[in-house]
Amino acid sequence: MFTIWEAHPPLLVLFVLMAALLMPAIFHFRPQLCGAAALTVLFIALFVSLNFVRLTLEGRVLSYAVGGWPAPWGIEVLIEPLSTFMLAVISFIALITIFYSTSALEWEVPEAGIGWYYTTFLLLVASMKGMVITNDLFNMYVFIEVVGISACALVLAKGGREATEAAFKYLLLATVGSGFVLMGIALLYMVTGNLNIAFVAREFKQVYPQYPHLVWTVLSFFLVGFGIKAALFPLHVWLPDAHSSAPTPSSAILSGLVVKVYIVALLKFYFLIFGFELLDQLLIRQLILLMASAAIVAGSMFAFAQLNLKRRLAYSSVAQIGYIFLGIGLGSTIGLAAGILHIFNHAVMKTCLFLAAGAIYRQTGEKYVNRLQGIGYSMPLTMGAFSIAALSMVGLPLLSGFISKWYLALGSIEAGMPMFVGLIILSGLLNGSYFLPIIWQAFFVVDQHEPKTLTMDKLPFSMSASLVVLALVIIYFGVWPQLPLSLALKAANLFLP
Amino acid sequence: MDIFFRVMANYPYFVAMVLFCIGIYAILSRANLMKKIIGINIMINAIFLLLISSGNIRGGIAPLQAVELTPEQLYVNPLPAALVLTGIVVSLSVTAFALSIVIKINDYYGTIEVNEILEIRSRQ
Repeated sequence: MFTIWEAHPPLLVLFVLMAALLMPAIFHFRPQLCGAAALTVLFIALFVSLNFVRLTLEGRVLSYAVGGWPAPWGIEVLIEPLSTFMLAVISFIALITIFYSTSALEWEVPEAGIGWYYTTFLLLVASMKGMVITNDLFNMYVFIEVVGISACALVLAKGGREATEAAFKYLLLATVGSGFVLMGIALLYMVTGNLNIAFVAREFKQVYPQYPHLVWTVLSFFLVGFGIKAALFPLHVWLPDAHSSAPTPSSAILSGLVVKVYIVALLKFYFLIFGFELLDQLLIRQLILLMASAAIVAGSMFAFAQLNLKRRLAYSSVAQIGYIFLGIGLGSTIGLAAGILHIFNHAVMKTCLFLAAGAIYRQTGEKYVNRLQGIGYSMPLTMGAFSIAALSMVGLPLLSGFISKWYLALGSIEAGMPMFVGLIILSGLLNGSYFLPIIWQAFFVVDQHEPKTLTMDKLPFSMSASLVVLALVIIYFGVWPQLPLSLALKAANLFLP
Repeated sequence: MDIFFRVMANYPYFVAMVLFCIGIYAILSRANLMKKIIGINIMINAIFLLLISSGNIRGGIAPLQAVELTPEQLYVNPLPAALVLTGIVVSLSVTAFALSIVIKINDYYGTIEVNEILEIRSRQ
């Protein structure tokens, strides 16, 4: 059943891409079928991705030469542990978000744009999948641009002043970022004469002592380029505007997935081509650690100052991206595995939080966190899911956020830098300072004059169901984290031999 | 003096870097959104210039199949040209998309100067 998908892994990207282009036609003839079609496509994609996960756990690595041209000449597609991990995460989060938006979209975007919204969404999913499976530098650049443009279009979908301006800012900075990345790729191509990552790495090991300045230049171009796109702390300025003014499903996928695929690309470039030793000698690793620590502290503090719920969640993303970069900078296998694991855990938590914020706005019209008193009584399911995700962010045991923080702390001890354990504890407290008041208000602050009675949420089935599924996933992988953890450890072993 | 001659020998690289910096400067310093888009194009084209000139050999010919290649005949590397062709398409679509957003911003605010837009937003 899976043989054709295993024989031709890029078919997965092509399949979602083709489906994306069919969406406007489906919307034209059968508008109500559009969501179901997108859901089916993503369901098949998730199934295929999980099959790749199974293959990877058996220890198999699939390599595919696109168009029949073998590796140094043609584009190589590689299904290794990190790409299967990302494929599964992307498929799962996209599936849940599309399930949520089947009933949320008509409320979030203009009527005529719904078909095109599905197109952009599936384009984004396809290009992200392409980005994580490709092993070719220039192919990666093309996918980076497709991801950038379709992510901008998803921000723009809502229309209105704020979203338009945020989308322009995002597009501008994303293009500058990809320009920097392309410059790095061009310089690498000039010294190594190859575009395939494995061949570039082999050639680079031999030639780099001749070009001491160029190594610095390329490393900084990649750090700035991917740093802008992944919103690493001082370069995060576009993120809060773009993520808070976008329609809810877009915010969820932008915060949950889009910034992460750039981190994965950076990880591949840095660790496979340059190697950790070189990063350590050239102080790039120390720079990453510094920026990550600044992101964790400053992101949480900015989040604390925001009263708009979606803006608070967006700044919280800046802090959580700091964790992933911290895992990269630590350079110990467990630390890197924890960073990779946090890509998945944060994607689930942040998607849950953003979707809950959208549900709250839909039922009550409230955007601000200081006006949510007693909302736990009128929306118990939504606020229950929100609380589980928020407590997981804080790092309560038995929830998935705890697992990534625990292994991050273990990794920092293994790397001989125990001060980062203090940073992780401090950031847990900071996370608590801006999430716990929301939960407290929702469940325990009750107006004495009009006591509220417990009623169920007045939401469509797909919205509440997706929230509940995400909350259950957070609990499940908090108690039994073996599956994502073993994949993340396999990926980390690949990068730090 | 040595470094001067080395730069002169590879002047397309030098020009590409200068253009790249001009593009970045235009994006950062100009308040007009159109000029920012022009800055993006200058920046991207500088990278294309760098790529194209890295594959070029003076006196080389295009490696077409119709031409009989003798061992002493030099030919240019065709791969950067293919990359740049793809890159031009990408930069074209980014530019088109950015321009369409500028049109929308002009509809909403009646101006495309960043400082005037900020002023309008702060008044609300």
